[in-house]
Amino acid sequence: MRRRTLSLFPLAAGALVVATAVTLATFAPSVAAHGPTRQKAVETIAIDAPAAKVWSLIASYAALKDWHPAVVDSPADKGNEVGSVRLVKIKGGGELVEVLESYDAAQMKYSYRAKNGGALPVTNYTLTIRVTGDASKSQVEWRGAFYRGFPNNDPPPDQNDEAAVRAVTGVYQSGLANLKKLAEGR
Amino acid sequence: MGLIAFLLQAAGPAAVAAPFAYITNQGSHDVSVIDLAALRVVATTAVGTSPAGVVAAGARGEVYVANAAAHTVTVIDMLTQQPRGSFAAGQGAVGLDASADGRRLFVADWFGQRLRVYDTAGRAEIAQVPLGRAPAGVAALPDGSAAWVAERDEDRVALVDVATQAVLARVGVGTHPFALLLDAPRQRLYVLNVESDDLSVIDTARRRVIATRPTGRAPYGAALADGGRLLYVTNQHADTVSVFDAQTLALRTTLEGFGYPEGIAAHGERVYVVNWMDDSVSVLDAASGRRLADIPVGRNPRGFGAFIAAPLISPTP
Repeated sequence: MRRRTLSLFPLAAGALVVATAVTLATFAPSVAAHGPTRQKAVETIAIDAPAAKVWSLIASYAALKDWHPAVVDSPADKGNEVGSVRLVKIKGGGELVEVLESYDAAQMKYSYRAKNGGALPVTNYTLTIRVTGDASKSQVEWRGAFYRGFPNNDPPPDQNDEAAVRAVTGVYQSGLANLKKLAEGR
Repeated sequence: MGLIAFLLQAAGPAAVAAPFAYITNQGSHDVSVIDLAALRVVATTAVGTSPAGVVAAGARGEVYVANAAAHTVTVIDMLTQQPRGSFAAGQGAVGLDASADGRRLFVADWFGQRLRVYDTAGRAEIAQVPLGRAPAGVAALPDGSAAWVAERDEDRVALVDVATQAVLARVGVGTHPFALLLDAPRQRLYVLNVESDDLSVIDTARRRVIATRPTGRAPYGAALADGGRLLYVTNQHADTVSVFDAQTLALRTTLEGFGYPEGIAAHGERVYVVNWMDDSVSVLDAASGRRLADIPVGRNPRGFGAFIAAPLISPTP
């Protein structure tokens, strides 16, 4: 097991583990006596900028590096096509591999799935980011569903449900805060 | 014949109270009880750890809740909405269903890899049948003589007989079947394949797949609505609900704006959709699909099973 620390995700510091030993299938048990149950994180932010402008900042699947402060690179092999694979490189080390599952420009949203948790202490991780609003104000919602990194009972503290929720929440909060700053031009 | 009429006929003279929906909240370890006449939560009943599976057996006035992480089933009294206790049920109860008279309870034991059958009056196990990997959804025959079970990780369903404690038939379906829905009048079983994003339709008399229809991404629950004319399917990853003509299996429309929809059930002229992501239940007009209301419930609601029933108030239990 390799261990990496992501200082730019302060809430997740020390909890970021690449669990190569985890061999859960794509679909972990939906309910499990001896295992985890599905967790979620939902973060929203209000932005004083037109929805179209905010969407233009995140519309490219490969643009994550331009608006998320913890990401140094995020190339996507097929752009915004469903199936496009994005390799997210994290500042300070660590990666996530994410596959685009749906993309809807009209509704200003897309969904994707992380291959395992990568740099986060989660597995079976799916996410959606969506912009709503009008010509003056907008709201961005980023949400994900996932299982904790540890597949069995009695997880260590850095791989339990709370650690998973904390880590994912930290990623969303720091990303949305920076997106707001960029869109509002401050 | 509606459910209430059926129950009255089955059980003889009795009074019927308003129907309730019992929503299992896996994240808050309780059940939100919704009065469907008032469209509001009238009780929040604490159960065991991580409840998901549920079946409301109106004929017995009891609701059974599978506590996935507690190895137990909790029984809720439909008149008081309070727990009547719980009993041990294998190594990881997932899907539940009951016979029409509520006397038999079927429990899919995920880790024990078997179907367990209980006599609900005595809370006693009367049969158990070994199955393949990851038994998930259950659909009992109304007379309780047998039940269909999704063997999720085997990509097939099994028909399990109670009297002989044997598998009568197995039918291969799509990838990762999870939820099942029996359409007894049409002699059909609907199987929702979470990974192949489709619906397998099985002829229950001939015991073979007669149709496969694409759904949205990750179909997770199904309900017959509008007098059996429409088949509603929740698509968890698409945040949508597909509405099929139940007879022809043609897709009529796709409803949007749900949040990781999972459990779904219909009653009268309405359909109720459980939004896992949004911690809410959406109320739809069955015929049109129009959204009438959203009701807040507990955390990470699942509602996996037939979660609606009206308690039958009988003078003798």
